[in-house]
Amino acid sequence: MSISIHNIQKSFGAFKALSNVNLQIEGGELVALLGPSGCGKTTLLRIIAGLETPDAGQILFEGEDATERDVRERGVGFVFQHYALFRHMTVFENIAFGLRVRPKSLRPKEDEIQQRVHTLLDLVQLDFLANRYPPQLSGGQRQRIALARALAVEPKVLLLDEPFGALDAKVRKELRRWLRRLHDELHVTSVFVTHDQEEALEVADRVVVLNHGKVEQIGTPEDVYDHPATPFVYQFLGDVNLFHGRVQEGHARIGEAEVALPLGTESHESAIFFARPHEIDILRESPGASALSATIIDIRPLGATVRIELDREDGQGLIEVEMVRDHYQRIALKEGEAVFLQPKRLRVFGEHELQ
Amino acid sequence: MASTPISASARIQHRVRTEPFWVRMTLLSVAFAFLLGFLFLPLTVVFVQAFSKGWSVYIEALSEPNALLAARLTLLTALIAVPLNLVFGVAAAWSIAKFEFKGKSLLITLIDLPFSVSPVVSGLIYVLMFGLQGWLGPWLQAHDIKLIFAVPGIVLATLFVTFPFVARELIPLMQSQGTEEEEAALVLGASGWQIFWHVTLPNIRWGLLYGVILCNARAMGEFGAVSVVSGHIRGLTNTLPLHVEILYNEYNSAAAFAVASLLASLALVTLALKSFFEWHLKEDATLTESPS
Repeated sequence: MSISIHNIQKSFGAFKALSNVNLQIEGGELVALLGPSGCGKTTLLRIIAGLETPDAGQILFEGEDATERDVRERGVGFVFQHYALFRHMTVFENIAFGLRVRPKSLRPKEDEIQQRVHTLLDLVQLDFLANRYPPQLSGGQRQRIALARALAVEPKVLLLDEPFGALDAKVRKELRRWLRRLHDELHVTSVFVTHDQEEALEVADRVVVLNHGKVEQIGTPEDVYDHPATPFVYQFLGDVNLFHGRVQEGHARIGEAEVALPLGTESHESAIFFARPHEIDILRESPGASALSATIIDIRPLGATVRIELDREDGQGLIEVEMVRDHYQRIALKEGEAVFLQPKRLRVFGEHELQ
Repeated sequence: MASTPISASARIQHRVRTEPFWVRMTLLSVAFAFLLGFLFLPLTVVFVQAFSKGWSVYIEALSEPNALLAARLTLLTALIAVPLNLVFGVAAAWSIAKFEFKGKSLLITLIDLPFSVSPVVSGLIYVLMFGLQGWLGPWLQAHDIKLIFAVPGIVLATLFVTFPFVARELIPLMQSQGTEEEEAALVLGASGWQIFWHVTLPNIRWGLLYGVILCNARAMGEFGAVSVVSGHIRGLTNTLPLHVEILYNEYNSAAAFAVASLLASLALVTLALKSFFEWHLKEDATLTESPS
């Protein structure tokens, strides 16, 4: 089922949680709402579910206005951040709940309920837990039961609030791949909220980046990572180095250095430049005017990559560079060494693009 | 065997964190001496005095018509006051813990009012409102309704005094449990009544029983407020606590203590039930706190 969100506004007292949010979600898509805490992503999810009402704006389900529709009639499945499993019911009864509370005329027969619940338990690979109670389960198991419970009512939309937020790193990685596979099997329109950019980029078909209640960018994971629309998106989607300078005749002037920019870059009297840690080369020999001089102050091997922290010679702050381990071992850098930094790629934001 | 090193290190840590031996002993002795002197001894005295003139006097004091009528009235009062306060307490706690509305803090303050007002004053309020000289007195008399110095007055006074017990017990419990489970049930299509019955009530049942048992103990034991509105008419408006007072004032101390022992037994049963519920309540609370 497709979801259209038009000009949604929501305030809590003086706090503006959402201002003028527009979003189109196609049927069968898996969309991530990504942003820092307090950016309004959970509020937006709850508005889609009908657990909050917007102050203004419209929500359309399959083109039909659902803004005033009761939560119960929206046909959504919701997975809560802390799962919200019914602690006094067995896993089986938790999943059966949505079927059992239906009015008599719509309620499936008991053997049908049994079959449905066991099918779902098989789907989440936890059939052996049917008679346990939620407090006896691990976090990852609770998460999957919560998902099975939401799916039991055959929702047309699945909404997940920080689905992996409370899990440890390893389980989180496993579960998000599992969720992706599950979505590919079921093809139910899904929206999930996360503050973890890696999670959003890995799982979602499209990512919606939110900040201060506004949509910063909507796009595929490659889109938002490779072509961030705003400085915020650039900074939020991974580590970044920031340089101040100006743009003149297609060149970035940062301190003493002059770095060539892609053809057609506009001139700016003042601009900021972003480069990710892996987009900067460290050189021993000066390549000419296109490099900044700096001193290595810290070297930290992190698994397959090595993170190197450097201090700029002109006193404009610290730079972080990441390189693969092989390369690092080949050039054998040492702490305290004076080197040259050459950005391979710079993203420019002119002054008019900064608020 | 595998657990030995763990428990040994736990024991060492435990020792490091506690106070010196003499400090603990002093504190414990003070606490126990206090309990012994002010709670246990008086309780023993009640039972010793009750049986001071033998078993037959004890039985007679309890089976005497006025004592039976007083017991009946006490039970009747509790039977009306406790269920009403149960309904009120759940409704108040539900609205306070699960919804945001204006005047919420006022409601919380009002619930506490009976705790902060002396029971005698609460009784007097009823006399001033419903007594012959009171605000509504003439109207009530004109319609031949008798509240003060009658059973309805006693029930009203008891209701007022036992107002906070259930609500006070449930509010923090429901607040700590939050609204996520109710919201989950709502999204799954449950009606308000189904949510309350299948989700909220099972989650609060031990806290509710705990509140009810305390409410009941107070309803049966209330003296001050009831004393003011009752008028002490033997066989008509005497509850068990009032009956004890009358017997005592008539120097019939064996009978007074015999009836008092009944109330004391009620207290002991209450205590036992209370700790049982408390034990389950703790389980519920830990379920809430467990990392989810």
